[in-house]
Amino acid sequence: MDAESDVALDILITNVVCVFRTRCHLNLRKIALEGANVIYKRDVGKVLMKLRKPRITATIWSSGKVICTGATSEEEAKFGARRLARSLQKLGFQVIFTDFKVVNVLAVCNMPFEIRLPEFTKNNRPHASYEPELHPAVCYRIKPLRATLQIFSTGSITVTGPNVKAVASAVEQIYPFVFESRKEIL
Amino acid sequence: MPGGRVCAVCGGSEIEVDAARGDAVCTGCGSVLEDNIIVSEVQFVENSGGGSSAVGQFVSLDGAGKTPSLGGGFHVSLGKESRAQTLQNGKRQIHHLGNQLQLNQHCLDTAFNFFKMAVSKHLTRGRKMTHVIAACLYLVCRTEGTPHMLLDLSDLLQVNVYVLGKTFLLLARELCINAPAIDPCLYIPRFAHMLEFGDKNQKVSMTALRLLQRMKRDWMHTGRRPSGLCGAALLVAARMHDFRRTVKEVIRVVKVCESTLRKRLTEFEDTPTSQLTIDEFMKIDLEEECDPPSFTAGQRKLKIQELEKVLSKKLEDVEGEISSYQDEIENELENSRPKAKGVFANLTKDESIEDNSASVCGEEEAQDEELEAAANHLNKDFYNELLNKDRLKKNEGRDCKDGNDAPVWPPALESLLGPLPTAASLGITESIKECISTKDGDHNENAGDGELDLSGIDDTEIDRYILDETEAQIKAELWMKENADYLKEQKEKEARIAKEKELGIYKEHKPKKSAKKREPIQASTAGEAIEKMLEQKKISSKINYNVLKDLNSKGSSTPKKEDDSTDDSSNTKKLSRRKSTVSRNIANAVNSMGKRLRPLISAQLAKKAATEEAVFPHSQTEGPELEKPGNVLVESGPVSYNHDDEVEEEEIEEEDEHCMSALQLMGGNDYGCDMDDDDGY
Repeated sequence: MDAESDVALDILITNVVCVFRTRCHLNLRKIALEGANVIYKRDVGKVLMKLRKPRITATIWSSGKVICTGATSEEEAKFGARRLARSLQKLGFQVIFTDFKVVNVLAVCNMPFEIRLPEFTKNNRPHASYEPELHPAVCYRIKPLRATLQIFSTGSITVTGPNVKAVASAVEQIYPFVFESRKEIL
Repeated sequence: MPGGRVCAVCGGSEIEVDAARGDAVCTGCGSVLEDNIIVSEVQFVENSGGGSSAVGQFVSLDGAGKTPSLGGGFHVSLGKESRAQTLQNGKRQIHHLGNQLQLNQHCLDTAFNFFKMAVSKHLTRGRKMTHVIAACLYLVCRTEGTPHMLLDLSDLLQVNVYVLGKTFLLLARELCINAPAIDPCLYIPRFAHMLEFGDKNQKVSMTALRLLQRMKRDWMHTGRRPSGLCGAALLVAARMHDFRRTVKEVIRVVKVCESTLRKRLTEFEDTPTSQLTIDEFMKIDLEEECDPPSFTAGQRKLKIQELEKVLSKKLEDVEGEISSYQDEIENELENSRPKAKGVFANLTKDESIEDNSASVCGEEEAQDEELEAAANHLNKDFYNELLNKDRLKKNEGRDCKDGNDAPVWPPALESLLGPLPTAASLGITESIKECISTKDGDHNENAGDGELDLSGIDDTEIDRYILDETEAQIKAELWMKENADYLKEQKEKEARIAKEKELGIYKEHKPKKSAKKREPIQASTAGEAIEKMLEQKKISSKINYNVLKDLNSKGSSTPKKEDDSTDDSSNTKKLSRRKSTVSRNIANAVNSMGKRLRPLISAQLAKKAATEEAVFPHSQTEGPELEKPGNVLVESGPVSYNHDDEVEEEEIEEEDEHCMSALQLMGGNDYGCDMDDDDGY
């Protein structure tokens, strides 16, 4: 089984979270009143704005910081963020698009085999932690990449990391370990 | 008598040292040579309990030589003591919890060691002490392999399991301790004992163990709570040995939900082992292993998808043959149908979609479907051509609806034939997506200044997001109505602040308030003092205030909060009787004892009572809370205490005697402990 080709096929990015600043104070009330696609959470002090085209939900604070979630790729995230800034501009604020940064990427990957979790935890002691009483998956942390993988017994793996590259390399790193503890199909 | 010491005055060598007075005197001339001699003897002091302990302070190894200078370095000495105090406090709590769990001394010592390590790594900062202690204890349970679950600990502390789990995981990680994985087999003897199988306990346990091992081989145990598997295994084992244990009884012992248990049983049913009879099971062990249940469910989905694909492929194959039929039908339909059917076409199409989705895999009408699908496939091409034409006509054709409305008769055709809608709709959307994406253009890189790059952003769509005046007003009204409560609260708050400002008492409300100093309560009698204190102090969860309030009225029984709904009547009575005596003792103790004894008793009793008390008053409030975490747990407090009853009984009775004798000593008979009143509530 060629490790590289299998892994490259399956990785599906499900969520990309990014932040940017508008460098200007935003009047949440005005946004809430004039925006058609906004939810105003006054008790917490933020506005949720949802875009349709890149499916994105943005949380806007009055300080000008904006967090965008729901994009399916880094490009899309940037595109959505820019659209958002544009719509804020149209509402009348002097928006400057700065400090754009992708903060978190969530991806899902499917292995073609099942995995023996207790065996896997034993072999990967310090990095892997498994508490069946709490969560059905093994939580594996890769410190240098700052990535966390959740490995389920069906072979499905959920990866979160700071960017898409880290996620991809995390999957590549974990493949041999997971392959060791796989369940042989009789 | 120190040799070699000479009196400075007379030169005589006879010097008497009096240890009691601490001075050295020359017997010759009588001059005092030394005063307040520092002695290095060990002194003993008698305790309240009658034992004697040595006088002195413990100096910690970590302290790094900070010696408390007498009278001056108060801060320094306090700092060191704090660490010692923390450790002492921790040790006490560990022992308290550990006794409830019936851990042996070795385990408790190990737990204390873990705690010391945690403290030295500053892991207790920012965390509740109880959580850290529970985590230490659970760590010990895991390493020793005792049959204690995290659930038990959370039961005792009335804390969310996941919170405890988080602390535990962190602790294990920081201390680099690898806790071995839980084996469900460990729990079997404990649960079997609680289910009371009598003589056959051993046999049933063995059967359950075999069942569990079978389940492990069949991949039912990965990712599942061990207690759920145990419950299922025990249930089956009990039935196999003719014990009628209902699902409810097993649930109460094992602490999982009914549906979980049922699910495990059905999963086990699916394995080939379930087909064996009892005798066969005991003798034979099947060789083949099963896949985990979630995997089979996923596989089923995959299979269905594959079937669909295969079907559509087959249809394409047959296409060529049916093309001639297709053309004929088309012609006839064109002639027979009226043309302007815009809205209705969409409607009928929707209906046909609903019909067809239900019968996707119906292979009886395969031939008809093939026909239809083939027709549909040909139509698709037709459709795309039309769409291309539209694209040229309308440049802003963005919505799917627009695309659908224009070509009227192809959709109507399709609806009549009843095609597989999936292919068609996919075809449409794909083409429209392409058309949209081409219009969007490339995304250029941002200029470093932060200027907004407008390429690819269509202003018209964004404009649609902005409401005009009337819409804004309507929305504002709606929002006001929705958040009326919050706005009311804000207004009241502001009014309050304004009032206080006027009166000049206005305090700037900071998020972190240090405890304000209260004035000492001045009251003539003890009862009055208590009343005043009650008013001032925050309500504590560890004291039953009803009892306290009724102290003046002679021992009239004040009923505790009724919590009969969740518990057995017998258990309730037993525990609550004990509770009422304990609380009464607290009340008595608080009133009649002097200050010295109060902290002692309140600390010990409050802790014991807290665990029991906390169950009942909290069982109602915590009930909804407990159900919030993902897996629903049926937690009933008293059951878990059954085996703790004996332990607690003795200890409480001791306290009883202690209190009674002190009462008698003090001579205060006003707060007589009327045992008869316990039943009447």
